[in-house]
Order: sequence, then C-alpha cells, then structure tokens
Amino acid sequence: MTTPKDKPEIALHAGSIVKRYADGTEAVRGINLTVAGGEAISILGPNGAGKTTFLRMLTTELKPTAGEVNIFGTDAIADPRKAKTKIGVTPQEAGVFETLKGNEHLELFGRLKGLAKNEARSQSERILADLGLSESAKKRVGDLSGGQRRRLLIGLALIGNPPLLILDEPTTGLDPVSRRQVWDLLKRVVAAGTTLIFSTHYMEEAEQLSDRIALINAGKIVALGTLPELQSRFPLRYRLKFTGDAVMRSTKTLFFEKFEEVQSFIENTAPVEYQISTSSLEDVYFSIVGEELSSNGNGDGRVSK
Amino acid sequence: MMRRLSDIYCIFRIHLARLRAESGPFLLAAIVFPLGMYFFANGVVRQDPNEFIPNYIKVHFVSASLVFSLSLTAISWFGYLLLENRFTGRLKLFAVLPVASSSYILGVMVFALGQGVVGSFSLLLAARLLGVDFTVNSFESVFLLIIVVLLAIFSLAGLSVVLAHRVRSFAAGSLMTDALGGGLVLLAPIYYPAETLPVAFRWVSKALPTTYIFQAINKILTGDLVIGTELTVLCGMAAVTLFIGFWQLSWREA
Repeated sequence: MTTPKDKPEIALHAGSIVKRYADGTEAVRGINLTVAGGEAISILGPNGAGKTTFLRMLTTELKPTAGEVNIFGTDAIADPRKAKTKIGVTPQEAGVFETLKGNEHLELFGRLKGLAKNEARSQSERILADLGLSESAKKRVGDLSGGQRRRLLIGLALIGNPPLLILDEPTTGLDPVSRRQVWDLLKRVVAAGTTLIFSTHYMEEAEQLSDRIALINAGKIVALGTLPELQSRFPLRYRLKFTGDAVMRSTKTLFFEKFEEVQSFIENTAPVEYQISTSSLEDVYFSIVGEELSSNGNGDGRVSK
Repeated sequence: MMRRLSDIYCIFRIHLARLRAESGPFLLAAIVFPLGMYFFANGVVRQDPNEFIPNYIKVHFVSASLVFSLSLTAISWFGYLLLENRFTGRLKLFAVLPVASSSYILGVMVFALGQGVVGSFSLLLAARLLGVDFTVNSFESVFLLIIVVLLAIFSLAGLSVVLAHRVRSFAAGSLMTDALGGGLVLLAPIYYPAETLPVAFRWVSKALPTTYIFQAINKILTGDLVIGTELTVLCGMAAVTLFIGFWQLSWREA
C-alpha cells in the first residue's frame, strides 16, 4: 500500500466544504480532506452521517453551499465537466439499462467517457473478466442477478481508466466471494496508481483496501488516519470475548488497556470459554462515533459491550 | 463537435436497445391503438353499417390517428422511459460522466424522432393497405410530412422532457404522461369538428400542439401543401418546450 508521502501529487482536495439544504439541514459541516495520488481512502460512518452527500459533492453531482473541491488541479465546482474526465463513479443507488447486454453497457459508457470504439471494446472485455462477468457479457443486464448488476456498476466506474475512483458503498449486496473479487480488483487498480475514495459499512473492507480511514459523523470528519493511527486513539487495546463464569452464563465482551489485566480477569472469573484479540477497527469506530461504548466504562480499565 | 455527436449517438443507442427489446408495446402505441381509433371513428360516423364513407373523411381520420400515434409514442411511451431514467437512478450514470446534459436531451430526442418517423410511416402504409387514398406522391409532400412529424415529435417529446424532470414521483409522472398522451388528442378537435366544443375548450384547443399537427398532416394528405401557419406555430411550440427542457435539466443539484 502507498502512503501520502510516497506520492506527493494531490489527487483530490476538499476544503471546508459545507452542504446546507433549503430547509436548513446541514448534511456536511466543513469537511477538509486531501488525498494523494495513488492513495486509497475509505469513508466510514453511521447512516445519515453525510457520507453520500460528501461523495456526491466530490463527483460534482451536488453543489456545495460553501468550500472548494479540486480534482487533479481542476476546480470541480467551476468546471465540473473537466473534473469528471478524471473520475470514475459508482453512485450508491444507480440503476442500469436492463435492455442492454453487459458488454454493450460497458462499451457504450466507455465511449461516453471518450474511448475509441475498439478501445472501449477491449477494456470492456477485460473489465468483465476481472469482475467475473465474462459469461454474462452477452446476456441482457435485466437477466443478471443483483450482485452481477452491482459489479457491472463498478465496471462502469472502471472503464476509461480514470485516475480517481469514487465509489459509494461499492460492494453492498455482494456475496462474500464476489466482494473479495471486487477487493482484489480494486487493490490491483490502486497498486497501478489509481486513487480510490469509497464509502462502506464493512469494517473489513475498509481495513483491506484503505491506506487511510476517515470516520464521518454528523457531517464532520471525526477521525482520519491509518488503521494503526486510529487504533492508537483507542487505549483499550485488548478485547476479551468470554462465556460462562459462575455468575453469568451469556457471552460478553470486555476491553482492557493492558494484557496483564486480561490475564488477571481470566484468573479471577475462570470463564468456560474465552477469546483474546486486539481491538478492531469496529471497536475504534464505536469508540469514536460513540454509539456503543458511550457509558459502559466501569472505571477499572474495562469496557463492556 | 465530433465528441458531442458521438455522445448523442451513444445515448440514442442506449435507448434504442429499449425499443429492440420492447417492440411489442411500441407497436401497440404507434400502430395498433391508432388504427383502432381509426376504425372507431369510422364506425361512429356511419349512420348504418353499410353507409359509404367518402375518402376525404377517411383521410381526416387517418390524419387524426397519426396524431394519436405521435402523441402516444412521444408522450406516454417516451415520457415513461424518461421517468424511468430519472427515478430508477439511470440518469445518475450520465450525471457522473463528462457528457453535457444537452447531449443527453438531444440523444433521447433523436430516439424519439426515430420512433416517431417509423410509427408514422408504418401507420400510413397500413392506411394505404386499408384502401385509404391520400396524396403523398411528390418529393415536396414527403419532405413536408417529414418536417411536420419532426416538429410534432420535438413539441410533444419536449413536453415529456419537461414533465419527466419536474414531477416529484414516478407515480405522479406516469399518471401525467398517460393523461397527456391521450388528453392532448381528445381535447384537440381532430376526430370531431371544433364547433362542437364549448367556447372555453375551443380556446384551450388553440394552445395544443396536436391541433396544429393535425391541421398540417391533414392538409398534406389532401394535397394542400400551404402549411406555413401550422409550421410556424409548431416551430414556436417546439422551441419553447425544448428551451425549457434544456434549461431545467442540470446534472448538478443545487
């Protein structure tokens, strides 16, 4: 994986962007984000946090109330069409043209991105193969499964080799095998130098694909950093999942700051079964977003979940 | 310029696939239902089943049925397609591309023109096979007929573009396109004399494109090629609807 320092070129800069709707709702409240070329950034946050609104302002679909968006040196607010030549997008709730065949769909959208006919055809074949859709190339899109359509939508973002991919929950609705297939493809694309920004609800997806992770809550980035950086903000590094001590028979999870505390707890309570692991991105997420670990601390270095 | 033409062509191709896959409903709207209206009008005008109907009345009903065909395809069918693009998220796929919104409108308009021309000339062929004698026998008459069909499609499909991007829900839009597709034909005095309408409705009918489309087509089919007034009015209506369509469709939400 690359880090911002390896590639100084700025792929995207969002400066203090705000989105306030006519009814006064402020969906995005001053987000600053700079993404280096070749970097992969995931956007995590609860429903309604402003992830999609933020991404739609980056893709030029939505005009910010205030702030600036710059994509590879182009002011995306002043010249959205030029900015869009550098972006491949998978919107969250986009539909496909069901009467087209899979290969036609990709080829025609490749041509709309400015590819010559032969180039659109060859890229279409390659992308369909990469997404495991070669056998569906000649099928009408309406006959494809929901997961296959979702993969086709990712293909529509990839065709034309745009240097920046903006994907809004790209793997929602995909089975685990298809999801990993998409991850592998996105890893290859990023390794080849493409910049990736995507939103997701899957922590594992964020861990697998991102150089940095941005946590958004209530229209603001509340944390931004690499996975170790975010984990370091969560002092309770050890997670103990255990079942059945003398008093309690159900499964419970506790967090501890030091490993010795875990050992001590196990010795004292003698659980029937237990599992120790380091805290995950999900734990960090809950900690920072404050949805789960809010008030369960018991003052002795343990937090129950 | 070439890039824009290529974009328009691709958008046309994307929508043409719809016609290819769903030719049945298109044939119903463009030919079968209008022919049904032709038979219906012929049946109503007869006092008894064996009564002879003069050719000029048959030509009148063919002209009216052509307008009905154009209205159904350019508003009901085409409008439904635009509504689907908007409310099923397909429009988003274009919105994130470096394609001008005007190219999208022109692409779908070319598609509407194509289906309008195919539907109109198929219906005329069917009328000829039914023994209706109309006079489209010179280059000038064919040319003028094509111009009228094009202006008809621009003005009617332009209404669809405006409607499809203003309504708040798919259900409301669908209801509106269905109602307009039929209503613009029934409110215009094309199957019946204008004098039978209440005075207020006569004024309403003067504002409907279907009234002028009918007058122009009926004149051409009866050999009268002096249709300057109708062409001028249709040009104006097409310009207004298309201007509003281009103006209101923006890829970027405010």
